[in-house]
Amino acid sequence: MFSAILKKEVILILRDKKALIALFLMPALFILIISVATRDMFLPSLVNFELSIKDFDKTEVTKKLINNIKNNESFSIKNSADIKVIVPKGFSANKAKLKLSINGSLKSDEMELFKAKLLKEIASLKLKILRDRLIPFSDEAVLAIDSISFDGKDMFEISYNKKDTIPNSTQQSVPSWIVFGMFFMITPISTIFINERKQNTLSRLKSMNVPTSLMVISKIIPYLFIAQLQAWLMFGVGKFVVPLFNTPALELNGSAFAFSFLSFGVSLCSVGLASLIAVVIDSTEQASAIGGVLSILLGAIGGVMVPKFIMPDFMQTLANISPMSWGLDGYLEIFLKEADISMVIDESAMLILFGVVSLSFSILILHSQMKRGM
Amino acid sequence: MIKISNVLKRYDEILALDNFSLEIEKDTIFGLLGVNGAGKSTLLSILNGLVPFDEGEIEIFGYDLKKDIKKIREISSIIPQNLAFYEKLTVKENLDFFAKVQKSTKDFIDRAIEINSLKDFLNQTASTLSGGQKRRLNIAIGLLNSPKIIYFDEPTVGIDTRSRNEILESIKSYKDMGITVVYTSHYMNEVEKICDEVAIIQKGKLIAKERNLKNLEKHFLELTKEDDV
Repeated sequence: MFSAILKKEVILILRDKKALIALFLMPALFILIISVATRDMFLPSLVNFELSIKDFDKTEVTKKLINNIKNNESFSIKNSADIKVIVPKGFSANKAKLKLSINGSLKSDEMELFKAKLLKEIASLKLKILRDRLIPFSDEAVLAIDSISFDGKDMFEISYNKKDTIPNSTQQSVPSWIVFGMFFMITPISTIFINERKQNTLSRLKSMNVPTSLMVISKIIPYLFIAQLQAWLMFGVGKFVVPLFNTPALELNGSAFAFSFLSFGVSLCSVGLASLIAVVIDSTEQASAIGGVLSILLGAIGGVMVPKFIMPDFMQTLANISPMSWGLDGYLEIFLKEADISMVIDESAMLILFGVVSLSFSILILHSQMKRGM
Repeated sequence: MIKISNVLKRYDEILALDNFSLEIEKDTIFGLLGVNGAGKSTLLSILNGLVPFDEGEIEIFGYDLKKDIKKIREISSIIPQNLAFYEKLTVKENLDFFAKVQKSTKDFIDRAIEINSLKDFLNQTASTLSGGQKRRLNIAIGLLNSPKIIYFDEPTVGIDTRSRNEILESIKSYKDMGITVVYTSHYMNEVEKICDEVAIIQKGKLIAKERNLKNLEKHFLELTKEDDV
């Protein structure tokens, strides 16, 4: 009985080629468009300050300083710029302060960053001068000075925690639209379900002693396979198609099993939700409207439309109520942190639980409706 | 025998069946005549366990409807008024599917195809069939479990005269196959053509039950006048 119903569902899905193509084409196009369009937004920002310099001191020290500034990629020296650096007479002898004149707007954090970068150049230079003067007197002092570095790589060991890892545009858009694509199945699943209710085929099956649970479960199984296929194809788009547009390629840094398992969780969650919607609403028009709006809403809250890491804190907290966010977090773990199954087990478990609970409710509701002859 | 005793069925405030009692003999074609909303479809759905009833007792071929619903469904079949099959499947795929669900054999499928003259349309998608062909497919699905009782819920609604006559002729043949047929309609001429016995149902109540169908005509004409049908 089960295999017959399953076969029928597969045939029905395959006959609706337009809906099937939309399930694959829609997320693929979104991945391509969004990855390419937001490529620069996700690149690590290169800080570059344009400045002009007037040197009134004109010593060897200030010449070296200006030369070092020229060679620093954080600065661009122009004849005229909003930031004017004036090196007063006596600066090299520590008798005068460096003067900064700012035209236009420079945010306080940008100002601090500018000062820090300039300070680094001045401190490095002064330390070098000190070192050169110490050479005739103390080898130990010279060695001690040589061991001092102002390079960030030598000074800081940075470890990113889970929350703060920033993806590139492909790493962000592929999982986002995989999750969205799977939740987009809400509309076709609920439409098929409602059509069956309307066409009385469910009643007919009931009159043939087919259990309600079997009617629901057999309907969702093909979609679990479609979702798995969808996830891997979208990964393929990220890995092979997106790079053709001069955008970073997606690499599966984590385990393939974790990717499949998480995809199973996301798809179970979406088909569970679809079944629940299908049994509580009455028409295919409602299914299209509610399915579409719900997908977009869950996507907007869950970080699909707007990446979670650029959301304000309270929105990041709110995002956690959306199952799409659970899926997205799991995929980011896999793509960014080389996650194995143990690292995505929380997200997967939540998605599976959500799917099982909503499926159970939909079976109970449908059973009760059919018992009452609805 | 189908024995319906004092059955009461309410849909919220609406009384669909009001203390309804009826006996239907085995191996007969029994007509249930009534205007729209008289309670015919409700009764058929109750007899197949698709709709629960509030009070009363129903016994079908010795089985209690409330206790032995699975067994009753195995020996009976309902042909719903609305077409209940998959439009995107072919005729053959529909028949194969509903046969497998009921663990029916190939013989039953072949018989359903033959009786309903569907042989020429087996590979045609159901959605492309004519109205009459769709009705015949709807009926053929109901024959797949080789039922002892078939409930027809107005199977000729919305089809042309030729298809209607074909369907009525095929229903007549079921009696020879040892099948008890319960046939609902709101057309007097239909039940006259095929039924051995007819009951009139009005507002959930049994108004009359006759083997001599001439006697029923008067009753029915009065009812249809009353309801302006």
